[in-house]
Amino acid sequence: MKTESLWSCRDLELRYPSRSGSRGRAAGQGLVAGIGRQPCIPAAFFAEALDIGRGECLALVGPNGSGKTTLLKALNGLLAPSSGSMLFRGEPATGSTELRRRSVYLHQSPYILAGSVSYNVLYGARARGLEAGEGHARARAALALLGLEGFGHRHSRALSGGEAQRVALARALASGADILILDEPTASADSASADLVLAALRARRDAGDTIVFSTHDPGLAESLAMRLFRLRDGRIEGE
Amino acid sequence: MKEAFLLLASGDAETWATVLRSLRFSFFSTLFALIPGIPAGVALGGRDFRGRRSLIAVVNALMALPTVVIGLFIYTLISRSGPLGFMSLMYEPGGVVFGQAFLAFPIVVSTTQVGLSKLDPRFRETILTLGAGPWRRLVSTLFEARAALVAAVVATFGRVTGEVGVSMMLGGNIRGTTRTMTTTIALDYNKGEFDRAVSLGLVLLVIALVVNLALHALASHED
Repeated sequence: MKTESLWSCRDLELRYPSRSGSRGRAAGQGLVAGIGRQPCIPAAFFAEALDIGRGECLALVGPNGSGKTTLLKALNGLLAPSSGSMLFRGEPATGSTELRRRSVYLHQSPYILAGSVSYNVLYGARARGLEAGEGHARARAALALLGLEGFGHRHSRALSGGEAQRVALARALASGADILILDEPTASADSASADLVLAALRARRDAGDTIVFSTHDPGLAESLAMRLFRLRDGRIEGE
Repeated sequence: MKEAFLLLASGDAETWATVLRSLRFSFFSTLFALIPGIPAGVALGGRDFRGRRSLIAVVNALMALPTVVIGLFIYTLISRSGPLGFMSLMYEPGGVVFGQAFLAFPIVVSTTQVGLSKLDPRFRETILTLGAGPWRRLVSTLFEARAALVAAVVATFGRVTGEVGVSMMLGGNIRGTTRTMTTTIALDYNKGEFDRAVSLGLVLLVIALVVNLALHALASHED
C-alpha cells in the first residue's frame, strides 16, 4: 500500500547562510568564491530526489559533516533550500503552518528551557493549544516512558546531559506532534537510557507517527528504522 | 562629613524630600523608557534584518551623548515655542521625567538587545519547533532573558538617578518641585554649602552601591 507523501524534494541544495551577510542570501545565489561581498560556502547537502511518506521511520547514518543535521533542520522548516525545492504536502516546508503544527525537532544537544522539568515537558502541549488535562496526561505518559517519573519538579539546570536529552525527548513526545525529527536521540544516553529511548520511539512508530532521525548507533538504526539513508559529504550515498 | 551624616540622621525634611522626589522621577522615567525600550531591544536582539546594524550603531551613539545635549534637544521639543510646547512640560516634573526617559531609552534598548543576542540560538529553534506562536515566543524569550531585562531596569534606574544635565535644563532646579539630588548638589556646591551636598552625595553613593550589588548578584545567579 502506497503511503501518503509528506515531503517531496527535487534538486535540493542546502547551504548555511554566511554569518557576514543578510539572512536568506546564500553563497550559491549568484556569488562566486572571492568575488562579491560574501565568501562561497560549499553546499552542506544535495539530493536530486527525496520523498518521505507518512508513517515512515527513516534513519540517516553517516560520519560527522555528512549533512545529517542540515537535512533534519530543513525537513523541519528551520533551514530554507538555497536552490531546488522541498515541499511538505505540496507547499514549501519553510513557512508551512501544517509542518510547524505537526512536527517537532530535537537537537543533538537539546536546549532545556529555564524552569522546571514539568514546564519544559508541557511547553509544546501548551504552545499547540492542547487541553490542560490532555497536556498533563501526555506529559506524565512521556516522562514515565522515559524513566523520568518524579522529575517534574526538578529544575532544568540541575539535569545531567543524559537526563536533559530524555527530558527534551519527553517534551517532543508530549507536544502532540505526529512527526518527530530527531538529531542523534541517544547521543548522551547510557545503555539503559538508550533502551528507554528506543522503546519510546518504537511505540510511537508502531502508533503510526512519522520519525526521521540521525544516529551513529547502527543498533538503533537497524532496530527502529524502516528505511536507512547513508550520507557522505552531503549526498545520499545509498539506501 | 560629620554634619552631612547628622543631616541625614536627623531626618531633615528638605533633604529627604529631595531624595524621595529624585527616586520618584527616576522610577517614572525608567518605567516610561522601558515601555518602548524593551520591545525595541527585543526587535534588535532577535533575527537579523536589513538596517539592524545601523540601528544598533544609532542606539550606541545615543548612549554616548552628553546629558546636556539631550537636555538641549528635549528643550527644543518642549519649550513654549517647540512642537510639544502645548503640553507645558518645561520646568515641571513631567519635563524632567520626559527628558530622563529619553536619556534612559537607548540604555534599555541596548541592554535588552545585548541580553537577547546572547541567548543560545537553539533556544529560538526549540520554541519555534515546539509550535509556539509569535506571542508565546515573545513571552518565552522575555522570560528566558529575564536576567538581562532586570539588569536593564537596574542600570537604567542608576543612570537616571545620577544624571544632572537633563534635570537642570528641563526642570530648572526649582525648590520643592523639580529639584533633585544631583541638581541640589550642583547648587549647594556653587553656594559653598557642602553639608547637604555631601549628604545627598552619600545617598547617591549608597544607590550606586545597591545598583552594582544587584547587577553582580544577577550575574552570579546566571552563572
